[in-house]
Amino acid sequence: MGPFLQYTVIGLTVGSFYALVALGYTIVYGIVRLINFAQGDLSTLGAFLGWTLLVTFGLQELPLPLALVIAFVIPMLGTAAVNLVILEIAYKPLFNKSLLAILISALACSLILSNGIEWIFGPRIEAYPPSLLPAEGMFLGTVHVTFVQIALVVVSLLLMGTLVAFVQGTTIGTAMRALAVDHDAARLMGINVNQVIRLAFVLGALLAAASGVMLGLYYVQIQFSNGFLLGLRAFTAAVLGGIGNIPGAMAGGMIIGLVESYTTGYLSGKWEDVIVFGVLITVLVIRPVGLFGERVAERM
Amino acid sequence: MSADDLLLTLLIGFLAISLLRGLGYRRLSEDPRFTTWLNRIDRVPYWSRVIAFLAAVALLAYINGDDYFTSVLVSVATYAMLGLGLNIVVGFAGLLDLGYAAFFAIGAYTSALLTTQAHWNFFTTVPLAVLFTGTAGAILGYPTLRLRSDYLAIVTLGFGEMTRVTFNNWDYAGGPNGILQIPFPEIPTFSLAGVSIGYTFQSQFDFLLVGLALLAVAMIFAQHLEHSRLGRGWIAIREDEFAAESVGVPSLRLKLYAYVMGGMWGGLAGAFFATRIGAIDPTSFTFLLSVNVLIVIVLGGTGSLPGVLLGALIVIGLPEVLRTFADQRLLIFGIGLLVIILRLALGIWPRIRRKPQPYYGLEIEEPAKVAAKILVEHQQQMVRRDARHAAAGHRVIEEGEAILEVQGVVQQFGGLRAVDNVTFDVKRGEIFSIIGPNGGGKTTLFNCITGVQKPKAGKILIDGRSVVGLRPHVIAGRGVGRTFQGIRLFKQMAVFENVMVGLYPRHRTMTWQALLHTPGERKDEIRTLEESRRWLGFVGMEHLAGRLATELSYADQRRVEIARALAAHPHLVLFDEPAAGMNPTEKLELDAIIRKIRGLGITVVLIEHDMSLVMRISDRIAVLDHGTLIALGVPADIQEDPAVIEAYLGREDEIPMPRAKGA
Repeated sequence: MGPFLQYTVIGLTVGSFYALVALGYTIVYGIVRLINFAQGDLSTLGAFLGWTLLVTFGLQELPLPLALVIAFVIPMLGTAAVNLVILEIAYKPLFNKSLLAILISALACSLILSNGIEWIFGPRIEAYPPSLLPAEGMFLGTVHVTFVQIALVVVSLLLMGTLVAFVQGTTIGTAMRALAVDHDAARLMGINVNQVIRLAFVLGALLAAASGVMLGLYYVQIQFSNGFLLGLRAFTAAVLGGIGNIPGAMAGGMIIGLVESYTTGYLSGKWEDVIVFGVLITVLVIRPVGLFGERVAERM
Repeated sequence: MSADDLLLTLLIGFLAISLLRGLGYRRLSEDPRFTTWLNRIDRVPYWSRVIAFLAAVALLAYINGDDYFTSVLVSVATYAMLGLGLNIVVGFAGLLDLGYAAFFAIGAYTSALLTTQAHWNFFTTVPLAVLFTGTAGAILGYPTLRLRSDYLAIVTLGFGEMTRVTFNNWDYAGGPNGILQIPFPEIPTFSLAGVSIGYTFQSQFDFLLVGLALLAVAMIFAQHLEHSRLGRGWIAIREDEFAAESVGVPSLRLKLYAYVMGGMWGGLAGAFFATRIGAIDPTSFTFLLSVNVLIVIVLGGTGSLPGVLLGALIVIGLPEVLRTFADQRLLIFGIGLLVIILRLALGIWPRIRRKPQPYYGLEIEEPAKVAAKILVEHQQQMVRRDARHAAAGHRVIEEGEAILEVQGVVQQFGGLRAVDNVTFDVKRGEIFSIIGPNGGGKTTLFNCITGVQKPKAGKILIDGRSVVGLRPHVIAGRGVGRTFQGIRLFKQMAVFENVMVGLYPRHRTMTWQALLHTPGERKDEIRTLEESRRWLGFVGMEHLAGRLATELSYADQRRVEIARALAAHPHLVLFDEPAAGMNPTEKLELDAIIRKIRGLGITVVLIEHDMSLVMRISDRIAVLDHGTLIALGVPADIQEDPAVIEAYLGREDEIPMPRAKGA
């Protein structure tokens, strides 16, 4: 049982990063039916902004809690601003055009973001301050869990809980859900559609940036091209759970994290992709709308 | 001229031509001189145009003589082959594919392994590579047929990554190092009449010749597919899968074909890539390659064959021209891509589907002769149908006997019984109307009859045979045509093409015939074109045949939909509110069209809200309210029926809130 629980802990930690990014995909998709391919790169952008603050601007010298708050909040805001610019320039003009055009636009944005990060921050691997967070942990039976792992999972769950409360409990959250069903009807009910779309992009970016900083703190090393794999996993997670569905994205993220961790543990890291996508395809063959997705009836 | 300057000149030159083309279509599309000229070009066989163009490209490379320039052209040719394949999947059938690199990889590895391990000649490995990738297409396609496009994106992406990782982990194929020392293509030495013949292709120019030859094959076959029954079926599925099914296009099978065909083109390109580079490894087949090929087709204009060539030239040529900015090359490429897609969402060389004179070159038929021809042909079809029916051991339904039997049909959504135990017959040759207030269950009943929905209980027999549980295209193939309440034409297809899709179940040309464009297939195509013209004449729409379906008025769109439903010579048609949105004159014309349809011997079932029209033409009427059949009889009786009056107007002692009579 020892390794199994150990793999589970690792899987849940990684899974919570995936879940955060997957939520960004799902929120944006739910509102505008657009796969924002830049989502993973937004996370990388967040990671680099946090790194700049902590290392270049020497924030690591400040008391730890203060440093962490700043290292999370500023990258999140900065990334949200970037995502809004992307929305206005690259997506909005294409909303009523073909699905493929907007997909290509999203891919172009991903390309611009990752290569822009490379241009600004350089192609090298950078490192978060390794001794910033305590390395200690505790043993639960035979399983070693670091406090960082616990903290990361708790922060992710808190962020997700806030999001669910926001979407389910507030007026603007209700507006978001209405928009997900029918843009025109929502507009006729007096909902400011543009504002809600902007909000979705802001939320997506906030979650992505938070996951980016967390990844930096956890893995220490970051590179401009990280976003691709992260985005890919998160996108897989979102689809696995049923894209557009918030609990689905969270569950999907956790499942992908676990599958990945077990595969690496029991089989070999080099088969990770095959197993992860194998699981996804199997699920979709059995349930074509994902685990939590609902079948949409088409009116004849 | 230096290679870079020449490349830049080519890029700018082709962009300028495509701009002029766009302007020409916008300004001159109504000018008969322009359109006749276009039609003349159209009549020059496609293969000769392709060969002339590619020969010009080869000549340009030969005169220039620069190895670097030639090698860029070879890459463009490879990408163009890939683009043509992906264009079948994405452009024609409308299936998103983000893992196309997998087919490229499978083709490359197949050819490389066969040449290095089994020492086959390159040219003999090509058919096998194509066969393998076609099979891979079927394997990918089969489980994903029922997925929506957004889900397809990730599944295909996953397929691409899985393939790459598998090659990476497969030791026999060299693992991460890949396969080295792949031999050059060669024509083995043999002697013919004492002259020894044989050649090894090894210079860049040699590769260009091989690449252009393969590209020519890829282009010609792709064009043949596009202008075939199969190609029209694909585009119909892309535009509206439900409508395509309902006119008899087997959508799942066609999607599978699209994956198979698309995969085959990828295999061709892959085999060529392997021999040309001489060493392949898994890093050549990443997600970025899939994205690049997708960019090729979207930039060029999805579904457009010349667009693929232009897209390939831009995707390969532009980064080469930008080499001086080596560090920010991809960044600039990304920005350039964004700018182009924002400016030209349809691509640089879009396929223009409206065709001012679609029947150019066919002989003109007198209107009177058209009607007679349709009648004769339809009667022949009916006789043949009945004979087939009888030969298969079924009883042939005679005039006046029940052709459609609805027995105790129930359809339920959640707790709501939309259709509740409805039973009636429609006799062969009659005009039968179904009326009733909105929400009465009329369209739901149509959906059950045409196989769009499966009823929860009850039996539906057409021609004495049960149709419950059959897919819509099968029911359509048995001779049932339908139109939709909210018009569902294939919007981005021309009017005549819409009707040609309606003829899908009539013809039996095979895919290989379409690929080779055999004489039999050509004859079938011309027949299809002629018949589409007659049916459009039948509903009075021939003069608008070349327009896009979306450009037509509401009433005209309804008439085209009727022509599409009739095209395959059905013996039962179901029209869902055909008069909606028509003005009184148009309604009178519709009246005449319906009578003409009955005159052909076709049974007509109508859902209609226009009472005067219904009372004028119906032989019998059924009234549905809240899912139950409340009256059935001849028009005069229905008008007097107290239950019907109550359903429409409410009872007198009720609170005076009459239910809406419907739109």
